[in-house]
Amino acid sequence: MDPYGQEWMNAEHSMGTSIMAVAFDGGVVMGADSRTTTGAYIANRVSDKITPMTDKIYCCRSGSAADTQIISDYVRYYLSMHDIELGEDPDVDTAAKLFRELCYHNKGQLMAGIIVAGWDKHKGGQVFTIPLGGALVQQPFAIGGSGSSYIYGYCDSNFKEGMTKEECMEFVKNALSLAMARDGSSGGVVRLVVIDKDGSERKFFPGNKLPEFWMG
Amino acid sequence: MTSSGNAPGGFSFDNVIRNSMLQQKGYAPPTARKTGTTIAGVVFSGGVVLGADTRATSGPTVFEKNCQKIHYIADSIMCCGAGTAADTDATTQLISSQLALHSLATRRAPRVATALNMLKQMLFRYQGHISAALVLGGVDFHGPHLYTVYPHGSTDRLPYVTMGSGSLAAMAVFESKYKEDMTADEAKQLVYEGISAGIFNDLGSGGNVDLCIITKEGKELIRGYAKENERKYRRPAGYIFPHGATPVIAGSEQFKGPEKGFSVVAEVAPAQDTMDVSA
Amino acid sequence: MSILEYNGGCVIAMAGKDCVAIASDHRLGVQLTTVAMDATRIFPMHDKLYLGLTGLMTDITTLDQLFRFRLEMYEMRENRKIKPKTFSNLVSSTLYGKRFGPYFSEPVIAGLDKDNKPFLCSMDLLGCIAEADDFAVAGTCAESLLGTCETFYRPNLEPEDLFETVSQSLLAALDRDCISGWGAVVHIITKDGVTTRELDGRMD
Repeated sequence: MDPYGQEWMNAEHSMGTSIMAVAFDGGVVMGADSRTTTGAYIANRVSDKITPMTDKIYCCRSGSAADTQIISDYVRYYLSMHDIELGEDPDVDTAAKLFRELCYHNKGQLMAGIIVAGWDKHKGGQVFTIPLGGALVQQPFAIGGSGSSYIYGYCDSNFKEGMTKEECMEFVKNALSLAMARDGSSGGVVRLVVIDKDGSERKFFPGNKLPEFWMG
Repeated sequence: MTSSGNAPGGFSFDNVIRNSMLQQKGYAPPTARKTGTTIAGVVFSGGVVLGADTRATSGPTVFEKNCQKIHYIADSIMCCGAGTAADTDATTQLISSQLALHSLATRRAPRVATALNMLKQMLFRYQGHISAALVLGGVDFHGPHLYTVYPHGSTDRLPYVTMGSGSLAAMAVFESKYKEDMTADEAKQLVYEGISAGIFNDLGSGGNVDLCIITKEGKELIRGYAKENERKYRRPAGYIFPHGATPVIAGSEQFKGPEKGFSVVAEVAPAQDTMDVSA
Repeated sequence: MSILEYNGGCVIAMAGKDCVAIASDHRLGVQLTTVAMDATRIFPMHDKLYLGLTGLMTDITTLDQLFRFRLEMYEMRENRKIKPKTFSNLVSSTLYGKRFGPYFSEPVIAGLDKDNKPFLCSMDLLGCIAEADDFAVAGTCAESLLGTCETFYRPNLEPEDLFETVSQSLLAALDRDCISGWGAVVHIITKDGVTTRELDGRMD
């Protein structure tokens, strides 16, 4: 490489990430770490990867920061137009299908793994995951990003049907803390968003106030 | 007339095949002028301070010692650029012009978020091939704003940001000294220290410190806020060459006076004589 | 080897008091083989505006024709001479239009504006303008030229002094560049006209 060039000029701004969403009766809990990297440099240690689409639909972004920001901008724009035509809040599956459409039709050029979640009056709290190729899968809970591979076992053994909102928040916080501890490209703080019929609420847990597990 | 450059817009790819042929034959493509840069910005109560060094390089050579890396976007929006110098220049000029037209069309003062969206959408469209890494700052009707824009089109909003090859040095200063709700003077001092760290610790950055302070009252661009790398000695009288010192080929000297051309803006046509119909 | 060094050659421009000088060497080579000693890389755009082009000679020729065409279109449309600053923007946007398939040429522009104040700038091959108030250089010995100009330049030189300074800066740099040289030409642009002199330089 050109010794006078800069690494960040070629390295794409990306989010080696830990993201997550869990549905409970009447809403969803979404969570994410806050690390954005270019190569080995942390370009942003307090990023917000939980992005609002409407008042009651959010998405968690992983992959290329540029790609997921642009996709979110488009979906937010389409949903606001849809909102005007419909005269009521868009459904979560509509938002998820818009993401799927963009991710699938441009899959050759995008690096985007997205979790869409939210609440609508027809089907309550819902979680959808759109992995790299542009599939669309509804799940009771979803994990994503590079950090997620460390916590599949934890999530499978600790997820229970019919958890309360508080139990879900605890579950997300613990799972993300475990992922951030093991994954070098995840870290920083934990951000949570809780969505139910009344709207959304944000929670913030600084890096030194996270649950600790076995540290060796 | 597309090949001679009167194309309706966008880039021309006429030379691409020839250039890649030359590259295959072993002629390395030349390096464009880059700004191995330190640029930074800080938000304070009521405004933003942007800062930049002033070095432009071509490979290891310093080609400009005092170039301006803080670009104009609108009256209360400025943008620091790092990366390929031609890209940061052209990108900021283009967005500045589009924003001015947008502001005339909407009859509203331009907003920082509008500039940000224009920049990120353009850079995303070119998929990182336009290497412009920017720090965008300004004050609009919502208050002060500070963003970074990466060449691929991703953006971050933060209270203090750095960019360029000296960004690590500047960020180290910011991380240790940033406070919330600083005054304008504290913010200026912090940005100066950050850029200075880049100038002295990053080889790609150098020269003077430029600052730009933007508040809702207006903006102040300070070229050469700190000049810590001036030349220490110049020969007082300079070098004086006597006339005729340089050997000139005898008889080669030519003098060309100004051509009588149309340098005036408008000419009045002479009064029309009556037509001669005699012959 | 960079394609900018295929034919060799360099251009230097320097500002004086109400005058400006632009000079270049005369060599045209194919790598280390000299094929011509009467090459031209400085082109008059009008009485008070000269354009110097370094780099690949085929692109220098193409660009000269292109800029002359654009210039004449401008002069016919506007019915006036172009300002040096405007012309530099014309050159810059033309080069940047080929951002992803550039011409291999780095221009230097020297001229006098309407108050006969000197205007100088150099550009890289993508059209990034570097305006200067002292001197501008480009070409295969640009680094040497920067060194000689940095020591020899003095502000507010009269035309005859400017000629000596610019010539000495150029000749000194040419001595350390084997793909430039074989004579040189200097144009001194003043409000009264342009003086052109051929320098008796080294032929090795």
